[in-house]
Amino acid sequence: MNENRTRNILAAAAVAGLAGMAATALIAGWERFWVNWILWFLYILTIGLGSLFIVALEHVVGARWSVPLRRVPERLSGLALLMGPAALLALFALPVLYPWTNAEALKDPVIAGKAIWLNVPFFAVRVVACVGLWILAYRIFVSGSIRQDGEKNPGFNVRARRFAPVFMVIFGITITVVAFDWISSLEPAWYSDVFGVYVFAGTFLAGLAATSLAVLYLMARGKLPGVGPDHVYNLGGFLFAFTVFWSYIGFSQYLLMWYANMPEEVFWYKERLEGAWGALVLALAVLHFLLPFLVLIPRDAKSEPKRLFWIATVMLIAHWLDLYWMIFPVLGKGALFSWPELSFGAFFVASSLLWIRHAMTRGADMPVGDPFLREGLEFRL
Amino acid sequence: MNSRTFSVLGLFDNAQLLMNAIPAVKGRVTGRLEAYTPYPIHGIEEALGLRKSPIGGMVFIMGLIGAISALALELWTSGIDYPLVTAGKPVFSWEAFIPIMFEVTVLFACFTSGLGMLLLLNRLPFYRHPMLRSRSMPLITRDKFALAVESEGQPLDVDRITAVLRETGAQTIEVIDQPAPPGPVSAGFLLWVAAGIMISCLLAGYLTYWGMKLFPVSVPMVHMLDQPKLDPEREDSFFKDGFGMRMPVAGTVARGQTPYTIKSEQDSAVLANPLPRTESVFRKGRQAFATYCSVCHGILGNGVSTLTAAYGAKPANLVSETVRGYPDGRIYHVIVAGKNAMPSYAAELTEDERWTVVHYVRALQRAMNARDTDIPKETPR
Repeated sequence: MNENRTRNILAAAAVAGLAGMAATALIAGWERFWVNWILWFLYILTIGLGSLFIVALEHVVGARWSVPLRRVPERLSGLALLMGPAALLALFALPVLYPWTNAEALKDPVIAGKAIWLNVPFFAVRVVACVGLWILAYRIFVSGSIRQDGEKNPGFNVRARRFAPVFMVIFGITITVVAFDWISSLEPAWYSDVFGVYVFAGTFLAGLAATSLAVLYLMARGKLPGVGPDHVYNLGGFLFAFTVFWSYIGFSQYLLMWYANMPEEVFWYKERLEGAWGALVLALAVLHFLLPFLVLIPRDAKSEPKRLFWIATVMLIAHWLDLYWMIFPVLGKGALFSWPELSFGAFFVASSLLWIRHAMTRGADMPVGDPFLREGLEFRL
Repeated sequence: MNSRTFSVLGLFDNAQLLMNAIPAVKGRVTGRLEAYTPYPIHGIEEALGLRKSPIGGMVFIMGLIGAISALALELWTSGIDYPLVTAGKPVFSWEAFIPIMFEVTVLFACFTSGLGMLLLLNRLPFYRHPMLRSRSMPLITRDKFALAVESEGQPLDVDRITAVLRETGAQTIEVIDQPAPPGPVSAGFLLWVAAGIMISCLLAGYLTYWGMKLFPVSVPMVHMLDQPKLDPEREDSFFKDGFGMRMPVAGTVARGQTPYTIKSEQDSAVLANPLPRTESVFRKGRQAFATYCSVCHGILGNGVSTLTAAYGAKPANLVSETVRGYPDGRIYHVIVAGKNAMPSYAAELTEDERWTVVHYVRALQRAMNARDTDIPKETPR
């Protein structure tokens, strides 16, 4: 397809989505508008943060095999920056969706006890701090890597390796803040200690699925010469391992709450297991765990582009379903899915793709200045 | 042709020479090709045409068996054989079964991959492998690469193989003899020992289970009784009033203990039997009738029992014209309130049990007053 034509189609989709979003606010109301905003902004944000985590992971463990692929998650992690303004705008959702902003809700002693954390000024400070830290990490990892393409200065590797362990701590804290603030505090009376880990598992998996999709896409177009089935196998192995990790954490959270049967914990699940949501949980179990797990068991499946491509697609859809299942029940109106959701999807996905296309014009398709590139290309299982 | 030859081995100076020789030798000699190298060489499995290891399939099947046997064990022990209600959860609680299933799956899979690889596939321990006594082995572990044609049961054509190996560039040729027969601690022996241990364990478990079930010589788990707890009908210092048993909380009604408000037999006709007339209801009714009613009313309900002769008492004939004319509610009322010399059985029988007895009394009445029309017209000869 013509390059300009793709861009025009994406731009048209984004504009149409924007019109749909405006119509949502006018016709379906602000509640529907902001719940969609939170859902789609978190979907894109987690893909970006997951990719940033993959980049940092390579630096922290000193992996070589992933050096030729690193530009892919580097470019995808730009989505986390794109979602920075979206996170700031989402502060307007606080009075509409988040009960703890309501003075009435603060009469509940449980919610009042959490008011020290859940109050608008501190929330805004956390959002700004998180976005700032992500920009800092992006500048060190990604901008530095792109600059290295021309400078060929190995000093970047040293800097990145020094910063990577620090970033791991930053990432652990900020992803937990994202989970607790944006998702969990939609129902502020709820308690779950492992929720941050659960959201992290989904985030990392989303980053991996997006990275795998992009790598396979670029390989099919000959943009990644020298990257072969051995590199792809590692991506498949990661997907395989972390789909199990996600299920393990998700089930652990459910099992403990189901066993203890404490009112302040189980109500969250009760809302999310009744009616259409119950069917959605089954879909989630199949799409997010059973299907990828069984399909990825054989060795060949992890390196075969076609199978890996559709499994990664399924996992990106499943990640969206996961967020939808966590966020949408707060409306208490059942599993809504109609033109407002599609408009938001069109806008967020199309503008993300445009952003990625723009990012692809910066730097080479591989980190050509990295001294370990050759070693990475020669990687065999 | 020598049937005592295990293999003919040619030594090459580097990996490339070895890789070149493989296709040249393949197909021109009979016997299995095997390579011995100081380090792993990528692509050599494909060149030699080695079959894919069956270990993956074995692990998958054994993992599946592990999951299913764990599930079967849990269903049987806590659901069927000894239904144990824990924390008010249903007896068949799949949530609680998952962790055990997970662990047993991992256990079976690990044992299969470890022991299956060592014992079944590699046939270890194999102390007398002929290669261990080969003169070439010290060289191969240093800097030489060996290609061997090994016997698959048929005798090897040593001269022809030697010629072919020399032709493809082998520097040195070594002919290696068949191994001596395996010692007593062979792989087969270890497998038999493992199988023996497994069968003994299964047998011991089975015998213990049925032995304790059929011949209960010892009282199981008496120490559970010796613990500080409240015993019914005993005094206890735990509560201020010194009673172990408690009165129901004021204003509450226990499940299945709805207060009985009907005062006289005449008013009881309004009660209707809520239970369906199913086989299990009749069976429960017969059980309760045999335990509590038959002592006086007789096993047939006709008022003839051993007590009649011993004490001269005259219990009611339940199958008489009078009682047959009673509505269900009146029989129920007599069970609850008692009549003449008969005391109340409200403490012995729950509401549902009383109604099963009513059904069973009806069945007795019908059986004791059979009609000619009850006999099937077409009596089988």
